[in-house]
Amino acid sequence: MLTDNNKIFHRKKILVIFFLCAGILVLLFGRLIYLCVWRSEHYSRLATELHERERSIKAARGRILDQNGAVLADNKTVCTVSVVHNQIEEPEKVIEILCKELELSEEYVKQRVEKYSSMERIRSNVEKEVGDRIREYDLAGVKVDEDYKRYYPYGELASKVLGFTGGDNQGIIGLEVIYEEYLQGKPGTILTITDAKGIEVEAAGERRIEPVNGSDLCISMDMNIQSYATQLAIQARAAKQADSVSILVMNPKNGELYAMVNVPEFDLNDPYRLPEGTDEAALTAQQKQDLLNTTWRNGCINDTYEPGSTFKIITAAAGLEEKVITTASTFSCPGFIVVDDRKIRCHKIAGHGTQDFTHCMMNSCNPALITVGLRLGLDKYYQYFERFGLKTKTGIDLPGEAGTIMHRKDDMGNVELATVAFGQSFQITPIQLITTASSIINGGNRITPHFGVKTLDADGNVLETFSYPVTQNVVSEETSATMREILEMVVAEGSGKNGGIAGFRIGGKTATSQTLPRGSGRYIASFIGFAPADDPQVIALAIINNPQGTYYGGQVAAPVIRQLFENILPYLGIVEYNQ
Amino acid sequence: MATQRISKRRKKEESEYFFDYSLLFIVLFLLGFGLVMIYSASSYEASQDFQDAAYYLKKQLVAVIIGLVLMIFVANIPYHFWERFALLGYIVSMALVPLVLTPLGVESHGARRWIKIPGLGLNLQPAEVAKLCMILFLAVLVCKMGKSVRTLKGFIIMILVPMPVVLEVYLITRNLSSAIIILGISVLMVFVASPDYKKFIIMGVGGVALVAVAVFVIVSAYSSGSELAFRSERIVAWLDPESQAQGKGFQTIQALYAIGSGGIWGKGLGQSMQKLSFLPEAQNDMIFSIICEELGLFGAVAIILMFIMLLWRMMVIANNATDLFGAMLVVGVMGHIAIQSILNIAVVTNTIPNTGISLPFISYGGSSVMFLLIEIGLVLSVARRIQLKEL
Repeated sequence: MLTDNNKIFHRKKILVIFFLCAGILVLLFGRLIYLCVWRSEHYSRLATELHERERSIKAARGRILDQNGAVLADNKTVCTVSVVHNQIEEPEKVIEILCKELELSEEYVKQRVEKYSSMERIRSNVEKEVGDRIREYDLAGVKVDEDYKRYYPYGELASKVLGFTGGDNQGIIGLEVIYEEYLQGKPGTILTITDAKGIEVEAAGERRIEPVNGSDLCISMDMNIQSYATQLAIQARAAKQADSVSILVMNPKNGELYAMVNVPEFDLNDPYRLPEGTDEAALTAQQKQDLLNTTWRNGCINDTYEPGSTFKIITAAAGLEEKVITTASTFSCPGFIVVDDRKIRCHKIAGHGTQDFTHCMMNSCNPALITVGLRLGLDKYYQYFERFGLKTKTGIDLPGEAGTIMHRKDDMGNVELATVAFGQSFQITPIQLITTASSIINGGNRITPHFGVKTLDADGNVLETFSYPVTQNVVSEETSATMREILEMVVAEGSGKNGGIAGFRIGGKTATSQTLPRGSGRYIASFIGFAPADDPQVIALAIINNPQGTYYGGQVAAPVIRQLFENILPYLGIVEYNQ
Repeated sequence: MATQRISKRRKKEESEYFFDYSLLFIVLFLLGFGLVMIYSASSYEASQDFQDAAYYLKKQLVAVIIGLVLMIFVANIPYHFWERFALLGYIVSMALVPLVLTPLGVESHGARRWIKIPGLGLNLQPAEVAKLCMILFLAVLVCKMGKSVRTLKGFIIMILVPMPVVLEVYLITRNLSSAIIILGISVLMVFVASPDYKKFIIMGVGGVALVAVAVFVIVSAYSSGSELAFRSERIVAWLDPESQAQGKGFQTIQALYAIGSGGIWGKGLGQSMQKLSFLPEAQNDMIFSIICEELGLFGAVAIILMFIMLLWRMMVIANNATDLFGAMLVVGVMGHIAIQSILNIAVVTNTIPNTGISLPFISYGGSSVMFLLIEIGLVLSVARRIQLKEL
C-alpha cells in the first residue's frame, strides 16, 4: 500500500515528477510567448514573403518630348499572354485558341501549356486587340496581362539620338540609356497568396502595389528642324551617292541641340532589322550583332574624322587671341610653304598671292594658316588646343562619345604643328567641332552640347531642370567678334558663298578633307555655318561622307546648310534685315 | 432476497470505488480536439493527394474508435491480470523490433519503423509496443525486487533492464526519439521506486553536462568543416535554423513561421497558411505549430494546460493506487505522456534539435493513439481499485 508510512517516499517522488514536468511545460509556454509575441512580426513577415507570389506590373516609361511638346517616344499598351498550368481545364482548347490568335506553332504552345510550372509566358508584346480577344474566350488558366511597349511615332526620326528600349523596357542606346533613371519609373507588383506548389489560394485575394510611372523627358530637339534636316540629308546622300550624311543644328549660346541627323537612320520600332539587301543567312550571330551596332552608330559623336579647313577657325582664333596676327596682317602664298624640310601645298597650286588675313580665311589658304600656327609655336598652339577644350570630351548627354585623337605634344614637330593648323593629321568628333566653333563665335563661352532640358510629371509640371557646365572666356569677346566678321566674309564673298542667303547675315567655313589612307579618293565634304553672323543664334554643321563626283565642301555641303537656314531661320524667328 | 442484498451491496461497493471522470474527460477532449486539428491541418493536402479532404481524419477516427474500445476493455479488467504477461511482453517487444527488417516491415518518410499486421491493413510501430511493455515489465520488476530495489545493485539492474530494448529501437529502427522516450520512462520509474535523490541528481547533472559538451564539440567540428560536419547539421540547424533554411532547418523554420505568424490570437481555425504544403508533417509531428498558427498563443496555452491537468490526474491516481504495482503502472504512463508532450512542444518551438516525436492524442498516427488509449485504460483500471474512503 502506498499509504504505508515507509512507502511515503513514492508519493513524494511522484509529486516531484509532476512538478518537474509541469514546470518544463510552463517553461515551454514561456518560449511560446517569446515566439508568438516578440518574434511574431519577424516570422509573420518571412511567412508572408514565402506565401506571396509576385507578378510585376510594368511602370509606364516616361515619354520623350521635343521642345514644342511633340511626342517622340511613347508607350503603347500591349499584352503578355501566359498560362498557369494548374488552372488549365481544357488544354486542347487552350492550345488551339492560342495557336490561332498568337500565330504560333502548335508544338511551341503545346510544350508551354503542358510544362509544369507556376506560370509560363507564351508571348509578350501582343497587340492589345489580340489580347482583348483572347480574354473574351474566358479560358481557365490563361492570363492576359497588360503591359507597355515603347513606341516611336516618327519611326526613323532621330533614331540614333533617341535610341530604343529592350525587352524589359530598359534603354539600349541613345537618350533612352542616358536618362534611364528618369524614364524607367518603378514597377509595381501584384501579390497573390499561393500554396507551396504555387497554386493561388482563391479566397485570399490579391494585394497590389501600384507602379510609379517614369517622368517625361523634355529635350531641346525641334521635331520640325530635325525632320527638315533629315530630308536634306537624305537628298544630299542620294544626290552625291554618299556613304552617310550628318547634320547638327545647335544653339551656340547655350548648347541646346535642335537636330542631330545621321543618315541612314533606322526604324526605332524595328531596330533589329538589318539594312535592306543584307544576306542574313550568310551571317554569324556575331557578324549580325556587329552589323546592327554599325547601324545604330551615331556618327556625330561616336566617330572621329579629320576636320580639315573648318578647323582653321580654331587656329585663327588662337592667333588673334594671342595677337600674333590681326585681320590686317598680310600673308604671301606662292602655292606652297616649306616647313622644316617638307613642302606643304596649298589647295590652289598657283597660290593666292599676297592677301590680308581675312582674305586668307575667305580663300581658306593653307600656307597662311600654317604661318599662324608656326608664329604661335608648338607650346602656345598646344596650350590653346587644350584651352578650347579639344582634348576633353564635350560631355554631351549621349552615350559613347569618342575622344580626340591628337599627337602627343612630345611627338610634335613643326611639320605636325603645320598640318594640325589647317585641320589635318588629327581627329575630332563632329560634336567637338561644332561645340568649339560655338564657343569661339558666341563670345568665348565653351558650352556643353545637350538634348536633355527638363523632366516633367504626368500633368506637365516640371520636376527637374538640367543645367550644364559652361567654361567662360576661352577667347575674349573681341576675338570672338573678329572671328564672326571673318566668317561672315567667308560666306559673303569667299569659299563659303554657296552657304549664303540673300538678306541674312550668315557666317561659316567650308572644309574638304581627305580620308585616310591618302590617295584613296575618299573625301569628307563639310560646312559649318551660323546665323545671324553678328549675334549667332543657330549654328549648323553638315558632313557628307565620301560623296561621288564633286567633293568640295563649298559645293557639296554649303548648299545643304543654305537650304536648311532658308527654312529654319524664319521658323526660329530670325528675321531678315535690310542690307 | 439474497440476490437483492447482493446487488445492493455491489451497488454500494461500486459507489464507494472511484472512477476518474476528469481524466476520461481530458483524454476525450484532447482526442476530439486532435481530430479537428488533424482535419484542419491535413484537408488541403488530402484533397490534393487523395481527392478526399477527410482522408486523414477518417483513418484517425477509425484508430481512435478502436483505441477507445480497447481502453474500455482494459479499464474493466483488473490490472493485476496483466502482471503475468510482463516477461512475455518484454520478449515480444524485443522480438517485434527486428521484424521491421523483414518483408513485413513498412518504410515511410525514409525510415523503416513500422510492421504490417497481416489481414488487418494496419501498420504497427514496434516502438509503441515496447513503450507499453516496458512500463508493465518495470512495474512488475519493482514489485518483485521489493526492498532490494533500494540497493545499488537493484538500481543498476533497474537501469540495465530496459537497455536492450532501447538499443534495439535506436540501432535497428534508427528511431532516436522513441529510444529516448523508453529510456526516459524507465528512468522516471526507477526514480519513483528508489528512495534516493542523490544518484538521480548526479545522473541529471552528468547528462546535462554531457549534452553541453557534445553540442560544443559538434558546433566546433562543424565550423572547422571536419568529418563530423554531416552528422552535426541537425545541431547547427537547431542553433541557427535560418542558416539551414533549405536543409535540415527547413521543417523547423516552417514551424517557426507558423507559430510566429499566429501571434497571440491566431489566424482562426482553418486559416493556417503553413499547412498549404509549406510545413511538412503538418498533421503529424508538427501539428502543434498549426494549432499555434490558427488558435494563437491562447490555443497553445489551452493544450498545455490540458496536458498539465492530465498529468495532475495521473499523479493523484498514482498517489492513491491501492498497491505499488498500480502506482508504478500509472507513473510509467504519466512519464510516457509527459516526456512525449514536452519533447514534441520543445521540438516544434525549436527549443531542442528536431527529432520526430508526435504530440500524444493530437498528432495523426493510428498505432500511437491506440497504444496511448490502452495505457489510459490501464490508468483507469488502477483508478477503479481506489476506494473512495482512501481519497
